[in-house]
Amino acid sequence: MKRYRLQNARLAGVLLLLSLLSACASAPQLRDSTEQRLPRQSELSEVPFYAQTKYQCGPAALAMVLTHQGVETDVETLIPQVFIPDREGSVQPEMLATVRRHERLAFPIRATFDALLQHLAAGDPVLVMQNLSLPAFPMWHYAVAIGYDLDEDILTLRSGEIKRHSMSFSRFDATWARTDRWGVVVAKPGTLPEGITARHAVNAISAYEESHGPEAALSSWQALVARYPEHAFARFALGNGYYADGQPDKALDAFKAATRIDPDMGAAWMNLGLIQRQQGHTAAAREALSKAAAIEGSWQARAQSLLDER
Amino acid sequence: MKTIRAYLSTLLIAALVITSLPVAAAPAASPSTDLVSTQSVLANDSGQADRERIHQLLNRADIQEALVDQGVDLDDVDARVAALSDAEAQQMANQLEELPAGAGVVGALFAVFVILLVTDILGLTDVYPFTR
Repeated sequence: MKRYRLQNARLAGVLLLLSLLSACASAPQLRDSTEQRLPRQSELSEVPFYAQTKYQCGPAALAMVLTHQGVETDVETLIPQVFIPDREGSVQPEMLATVRRHERLAFPIRATFDALLQHLAAGDPVLVMQNLSLPAFPMWHYAVAIGYDLDEDILTLRSGEIKRHSMSFSRFDATWARTDRWGVVVAKPGTLPEGITARHAVNAISAYEESHGPEAALSSWQALVARYPEHAFARFALGNGYYADGQPDKALDAFKAATRIDPDMGAAWMNLGLIQRQQGHTAAAREALSKAAAIEGSWQARAQSLLDER
Repeated sequence: MKTIRAYLSTLLIAALVITSLPVAAAPAASPSTDLVSTQSVLANDSGQADRERIHQLLNRADIQEALVDQGVDLDDVDARVAALSDAEAQQMANQLEELPAGAGVVGALFAVFVILLVTDILGLTDVYPFTR
């Protein structure tokens, strides 16, 4: 009896939810620039297909984007790296970490339908997470978007056991919106996919640097600075990369550029001062260190003590 | 498991303290030229780097334990936890249970089946292939 009532309550809740959700059934509104700039159709048919077995859509989707980027791997190799047996699934942080284990970078995309289509048009398949079901009975799923058709409003994915799964824009966006439109593009070190924001790129390259060391990340910082030359933090990170790679002169230039773009970046003044000091440019070092000491941050005390030394 | 964790934590803290000793003991006359790292600035480091690091190490021990509890093989778990960035480790430690795990299968009751059938037909969900 109690159980029966509980089910009724749940049903009522779901119906209520349904009425709320029906507001989202319309096709995603694309920006005019997307409609005008992008080719009407695009499909990356060369993206390999790995069918998911059981609950292993995570490893399967990873296998597709990784082999597309030249990594030699397969679903069997990836399962022990990313699958959580008792959860019968894979979680997002480990999906990103596994991409890095295979010496590729995982760049989150902007969470918009426009961005998704732009990446596909630029030639990058997008690893997406969906909730195919309703929030109350989630059915989390990873798939790889490979193409679209703007005239038919159709998105094409490699999904589950279906090699070429076509979905209307509206249905896909409804399922994608339930993961806050989580999507990732995979790239080799030294390349930065079109359309990745500077902030997402900084985080992705920094995470790669954490696991593979500064020398391995250097080419990606270079690519980031080439794309966003006026981004102070990118210059700063590039400086650290050059320094770790034994190129202090180039590091010096990068830190100078960072302080020129953002004179309030204490960490860049600090590193600039440290290198100038090491190279014996005492006056210049004092100037940089006193800038660093005047800006709040973890470097402040150290900058001050170096200034106090003589 | 508890004892392993306690043991591991102690070991990690000890390792951390020992590795940080030479830096503390370095003579002031030859200051290290360790630059301010990219990651520390990103993490909005505010002079608590060491405490942060201990937290991180404990976090990772927690994640390791949680993953093994959830069926991950002991042989694989070290490499998996090591592959996480600090930010990801933080996320895993704080909310592993709540994180959605992509699986691609739904365990459905009959009532749910009917509801999802309707939402599938309405184009809100994508559960049953035969609705298309």
